[in-house]
Amino acid sequence: MSQIEIGYKPAQAMARVILQNGEQFRAESGAMVGMSTNVNMETGSTGGMMSGLKRMFGGESFFQNTFTAQGGPGEVLLAHSLSGDIVSLPMSPNGFFIQSSSYIGGDPWVNIETKVGGFKSFFAGEGVFVLKATAQQEGQVLVGAFGGIQELQCDGNMVIDTGHLVAWDTTLEYTVGKSGSGWIASFLSGEGLVCHFTGQGRIWIQTRNPQEFGSMVGRMLPPREN
Amino acid sequence: MDQQPQPQAPPQQAPAPQGQAPVPPGAGIEPVQTAAPLTHEITHGPSFAMLRVDLQPGQKVVAEAGAMVARHNNVEMEVKMNAGSRAGFFAKVKAFFIAMIRKIVGGETFFVNHFTSPQGPGSVWVAPTLSGTVAHRRMQGETITLSTGAYLASSGDFEMKMKFGGFKSLLAKEGAFFIQITGTGDLWFNSYGGVHAVDINGPFMVDNGHLVGFEGNVTFSIKSAGGGMMGFMASGEGLVVQFEGQGRVYLQSRNVSSLVGWLTPLLP
Repeated sequence: MSQIEIGYKPAQAMARVILQNGEQFRAESGAMVGMSTNVNMETGSTGGMMSGLKRMFGGESFFQNTFTAQGGPGEVLLAHSLSGDIVSLPMSPNGFFIQSSSYIGGDPWVNIETKVGGFKSFFAGEGVFVLKATAQQEGQVLVGAFGGIQELQCDGNMVIDTGHLVAWDTTLEYTVGKSGSGWIASFLSGEGLVCHFTGQGRIWIQTRNPQEFGSMVGRMLPPREN
Repeated sequence: MDQQPQPQAPPQQAPAPQGQAPVPPGAGIEPVQTAAPLTHEITHGPSFAMLRVDLQPGQKVVAEAGAMVARHNNVEMEVKMNAGSRAGFFAKVKAFFIAMIRKIVGGETFFVNHFTSPQGPGSVWVAPTLSGTVAHRRMQGETITLSTGAYLASSGDFEMKMKFGGFKSLLAKEGAFFIQITGTGDLWFNSYGGVHAVDINGPFMVDNGHLVGFEGNVTFSIKSAGGGMMGFMASGEGLVVQFEGQGRVYLQSRNVSSLVGWLTPLLP
């Protein structure tokens, strides 16, 4: 398992993945900041054509890059697109669900599947597809946030704004729904859609909502000409 | 720069208890509606601050619409219009119109969510939209005026009023409305960037987009920085707020209009 150091926490985090000779690491295309010259980068659609397509619908890129250190140790630097924190999650036997835009990379034996998050979540503008990360052995995944990352323990029930979700244990049951008692109240409350979790497990949230930020700044921008 | 002063009562007033310090019993203050002091924590500051408030049955926290990040399932949420509890019919109608205009035009909605936890303890997490800090102010009956985007949450007995910033302020993207908050309890406000408190004694000028709020014995007027219409267009400063008097002014180290102005020419 490759060693990962995360620097520039919490606002502008960057991960440094240290690879021994022959070791591999897999990352989202576009996440690479820099790498040693003896690291070979191979681009591929991991998991075949269909997985690639599903990833693309999930807001992720079709391709993933696999980094391999050749002829000696090397390192790869990885970063997220938005300002914020990065954490490395050690794989648990049950695995995680990861909000697709939060995924940065992981060990190559960590299996990443795209799951449809349910019809309702289609309206959330995000989380239409969530990634399910599982591994048969010890491993780790890197997730990035917009803002800080906070781990919450769910003992029974929790409600989380969909835009603030980063990852959660697969032991948790989840449904996406409206935040208030009725649709009008939900609209006025400004909370949009929320995720209702039940069961026991951990939830990682980000302290800022990328969609909310985007729409706030976006509506001040001039209209696109096309 | 010297260290950032913590938001607290302006110097000419009696020192207020700070942070999470509980109100001492019999301190001559009307008890807040909450039985026990509300516990809260601000984490992930200064860049991406988030507020957690722990509620006991009977306690309530009010937060800006859309600010909720997470809550325990037993915490109940109710959306309300942000008019004070004692506001008359006319004030409520006015607040409703402003709320609807802002909901349609965009920007702060002025609807708020009331969070209560009647079935046992529960927590609610709230965060602002932009990167920046969350400041806590323990209010003891003072009045604080905030730019509309600056209000995050409150708990206690507060009277909130919308103040119109004047017709000039409509020309600028922000500062058309202010929220005047008077009362006792906990108030949390947010900034884009860091919050910088300036104690003023005499005139002081702040860029409209950098203003978070002010308190104390101050008056303000909205002006164009360069003087006149030409100065407004040419100086690049837009509108400024000119303060007079003694009190405290809160500034933020970033400005949304500047971000938008920087992004706009880069768009395809």
